[in-house]
Amino acid sequence: MFKNEEMEINLGPQHPSTHGVLRVKLRLDGETVTKCTPVIGYLHRGVEKICENKTFFQGQVWTDRMDYVASISNNLGWAEGVEKLFGIETPRRARYIRTMLTEQNRLASHLLWLATHALDIGAMTVFLYAFREREYLLDLFEAFCGARLTTTAFRIGGLREDLPPGFIKNAQAFQDRFLACIDEYEELLTENRIWKKRTVGVAKLNAEDCIALGVTGPVLRAAGVPYDIRKAFPSAAYAEMDFEIPTRTEADTYARYLVRLAEMRQSHRIIQQCIDGLPEGPVMAKIPKILKSEVNEVYHPIEAPKGELGYYFVAEKGGTMPYRMHVRAPSFVNLQALPKMTEGRLLADVIAAIGTLDVVLGEIDR
Amino acid sequence: MSFLRTLIPFDIIGGLTVTGRYFGKVFFSANRKKIRANLAHFTQEYPEVPVKLQPRFRGRLTLLKDEQGEIKCVCCLACEKICPTQVITIEKGKKEGRKMPFPVRYDFEMERCIFCEFCVESCGFDSIILNHQFELAGYNREDFSLGMDGLGHNMFEPSPVGRHSVAED
Ligand code: SF4
Ligand code: SF4
Repeated sequence: MFKNEEMEINLGPQHPSTHGVLRVKLRLDGETVTKCTPVIGYLHRGVEKICENKTFFQGQVWTDRMDYVASISNNLGWAEGVEKLFGIETPRRARYIRTMLTEQNRLASHLLWLATHALDIGAMTVFLYAFREREYLLDLFEAFCGARLTTTAFRIGGLREDLPPGFIKNAQAFQDRFLACIDEYEELLTENRIWKKRTVGVAKLNAEDCIALGVTGPVLRAAGVPYDIRKAFPSAAYAEMDFEIPTRTEADTYARYLVRLAEMRQSHRIIQQCIDGLPEGPVMAKIPKILKSEVNEVYHPIEAPKGELGYYFVAEKGGTMPYRMHVRAPSFVNLQALPKMTEGRLLADVIAAIGTLDVVLGEIDR
Repeated sequence: MSFLRTLIPFDIIGGLTVTGRYFGKVFFSANRKKIRANLAHFTQEYPEVPVKLQPRFRGRLTLLKDEQGEIKCVCCLACEKICPTQVITIEKGKKEGRKMPFPVRYDFEMERCIFCEFCVESCGFDSIILNHQFELAGYNREDFSLGMDGLGHNMFEPSPVGRHSVAED
């Protein structure tokens, strides 16, 4: 009488829990997911191609619009990649300020992740608290470069301007109160039995699978692999900073939550070191008005909040624009792990899996 | 012990304490002007209370005049070249009694501007700035093409702000 049939449904592209315009085709057997296919491309703008038609100075504005939650990290990758291509040395003060802002941006990105991930799973309160702190950070970015989200914060060779007056004071005020805020989030979530039921053992991805799929960032570190570009290939001022790479071995959603919270504490530590050890000096190196490249190719990875963000430039002789530009976007690579995480598990866990991967669609579709 | 933990939800009580603490702070300081500025209130009543912007905020592009009322721009076209979205179009010209070239037209299509401030940075004569205006929505496409002598929306003054607000209706 009853037929046993599998059903195919679409999650997204307008679903609020897919964090943008991600569409996931799901084949369901009752509540169990038997097949999961992410469909991307709804936000494609062709950033890589556009950047090939823009000079090295202009291209940076498109990097803001890839991972718009962590645009300062993207700016850092672009600026340092181009500097590597031309062999430009950045002043030490500029490198310190870059490091500080990138870490503050990591905090902002992780706070947004915490807020929306908790909201997806059903904890509304954390959302409001996390946004409160993120707002403060965005005000700091606005004070530094004039925009809150699409920052265009750095320039090739350093920074446009030095820190505005009062920036260090405000940043220190944030530092003083932020650790208590993390404790607050922990109090709300870490031991909460509902949170644990929804996250412990959900969307597992062990270290071998992570490496096979190229997954980086907190997802990889939650599987027990202590790989962090900030330590492996230090750029900016990371080589002078003292911090740890938090890892867990459980490789589930709960472990990723703990890793990200621990990372926020480490970022807090790095920012404090930047504030304390901020050297004096110029913030801009001497660079020519027009950059003319030689035949060259460069790959520059940095640790974005989501994982390894790499910029690959190919330059031709006498060119003012990159001949080819490619972005290794962390969310794009991490998203491949979604079928592995969700197949054979329940439908409700798909939401947790998308949240825990921390994908940003602007970066996936580019 | 684990049975006791199941019976008494310490974890949830812990979370409620955090929420309760903030609830208390806000509840007892509401409508009291003095304590209002403390850390208990984070939201702003935006359309009624104007937003405080940072000095470096990047808003709409504005042309500047010097003390004599002369347009400062000297048509070096640096801003036109650097603009990543090519929204600035300048036509060079001459004016009586002025040594420097004079822009006959300075067109700015705001709908494509991405507020990056590269133009201001490239200008060696300080003749343009980004003002502090961010309420730039308009009803017609024409509202977004600004120029030196447009009707009502010229490049020297802030754009008119849309009149419709929920508070007024
Ligand atoms: S702010 Fe940027 S996009 Fe807008 S006019 Fe200036 S250079 Fe062009
Ligand atoms: S860069 Fe300045 S002076 Fe040159 S054309 Fe633009 S506004 Fe005029």
